Amino acid sequence: MDEFLQALTQGLLIGSTYGLLALGMGLVYGVSGVVNFAHGDFIALGMFMCLALYSALSLDPYVSIIITVPVMMAVGALVYRYLLRPMVGYKFLMIVQLTLGLSLVLQNGILMVFGGQPARTPSVVESKLWILGDVVMRVPHVIAFVVSFALAIALYAMLRSTDFGRSIRAVHQNAHAASLTGIDVGRVQVLTFALGIGILAVAAALLLPGTPIQPTMGLRYTVITLLVVVLGGMTNFVGIMLGGLVIGISEAFGTIYLSDTLGMLLPYGIFVLIMLFRPQGLTWGAAR
Amino acid sequence: MLEIERLVTGYNGVPVLQDVSLTLSSGEIVGLLGANNAGKTTLINSLSGMYAPMSGRILFEGKDITALTPRERVELGIVQVPEGRLVFPEMSVRENLLLGGINRRARPGRARQMEHVLELFPRMKERLSQDAGTLSGGEQQMLAIGRALMAEARLLMLDEPSLGLSPLFVQYIFGIIDKLHADGLTILLVEQNLNLTLRHAQRCYVLERGRVAIEGPADAIKDDPRTRSAYLGL
Repeated sequence: MDEFLQALTQGLLIGSTYGLLALGMGLVYGVSGVVNFAHGDFIALGMFMCLALYSALSLDPYVSIIITVPVMMAVGALVYRYLLRPMVGYKFLMIVQLTLGLSLVLQNGILMVFGGQPARTPSVVESKLWILGDVVMRVPHVIAFVVSFALAIALYAMLRSTDFGRSIRAVHQNAHAASLTGIDVGRVQVLTFALGIGILAVAAALLLPGTPIQPTMGLRYTVITLLVVVLGGMTNFVGIMLGGLVIGISEAFGTIYLSDTLGMLLPYGIFVLIMLFRPQGLTWGAAR
Repeated sequence: MLEIERLVTGYNGVPVLQDVSLTLSSGEIVGLLGANNAGKTTLINSLSGMYAPMSGRILFEGKDITALTPRERVELGIVQVPEGRLVFPEMSVRENLLLGGINRRARPGRARQMEHVLELFPRMKERLSQDAGTLSGGEQQMLAIGRALMAEARLLMLDEPSLGLSPLFVQYIFGIIDKLHADGLTILLVEQNLNLTLRHAQRCYVLERGRVAIEGPADAIKDDPRTRSAYLGL
């Protein structure tokens, strides 16, 4: 029973961050139809930036966010404006290919700068534990959970009740009509992409403590994000957060109850099962 | 107020509008008639800046706006009520109206303008928190017009406002159009419904296969035998 609670808790904590990763992808897809296969590599980029800031200035990853978020957002805006925007309107596969290419560029760029040795970025809270009854939680996981949900709620509030948020939803629901009301659709798309990458910079810091990093690690996060996004429904806010928790929990159960390799398979197995029986995703038509 | 000079617009190098010239004076209500595929929607979308013209110019209050983006044109007060309404279905009536007034010029006065629009459409006031997708066709048309008015439109362009509405709603919507005209708004009315347009417009243009076939006061257009033939494509 202890093990069960332990796995459940750990899965919930990590799953919230997976949900956050997927929200970034869903937002971008919603306004521009772009599925970014370099998604995870931007997370890796964020992590290595934290590493560089630690090496140079001894900054804790949580503090590095102040620098990595604006830098990554700027990178995101440039990538969208000059790489992706010219491709919007072409076949979907072209965008897939382009972002896959971008993924390789990012991986090899990181490899060139940092080398291929797995590295670690220490944080002051890295080895701290929080014990609640029988359940032991790692403090970085608790921080990840709280920050991820806080950001998700902030994003939701932004979409609901600011002009920028309403513009994002308008472009998602009908880009032509949005343009006719005076919304600069291109600008909304660039800013949304930048926002999505900015979210990844935060997520990178949340996932970093205790995680060994290497240049090719991005693909794993891309795949996890895709699983979550498909489970939740591309633009369904609640569904995506729920999908994140499902994947997080199945990953945790896999590693605790099954052998290492088999455990890694569990999230994918559960994903396939859910898709077989609920191809429309987890939630019931509660689109936004 | 608006002058279109020899406009040629098309898609993929194939012209849809050929040498279209049209003028609209301040406070006027002008009808744009024509059969399906005559180029009416293309013309109205060209005015909204959705396509770059192949040649020709568009002047608004003497200023060349041919190269302006859709957003910049809305900021000038050139606002379209699109064919099929195109309200944002998964947003409330209130949010749709707020989005209508999102341009830089209208935003400061949004609260006041909202009151004005809700006075014009009391039905929208009852539906403020309802999703636009759940409204009836007639209500969506009210919302689409309200959304355009929120932009503090100075030239209001309506594309097929009677399309798919019950006769009662058509009457109501055209009553609103007459009222807006009486309040001094300049209106370009695109319609397939010939008699309806002739009753409400002061002047009309009839488009036929991308060209202006006939233009003149509504009464003259009504009696012109060419009008019917342009419609039937003869």
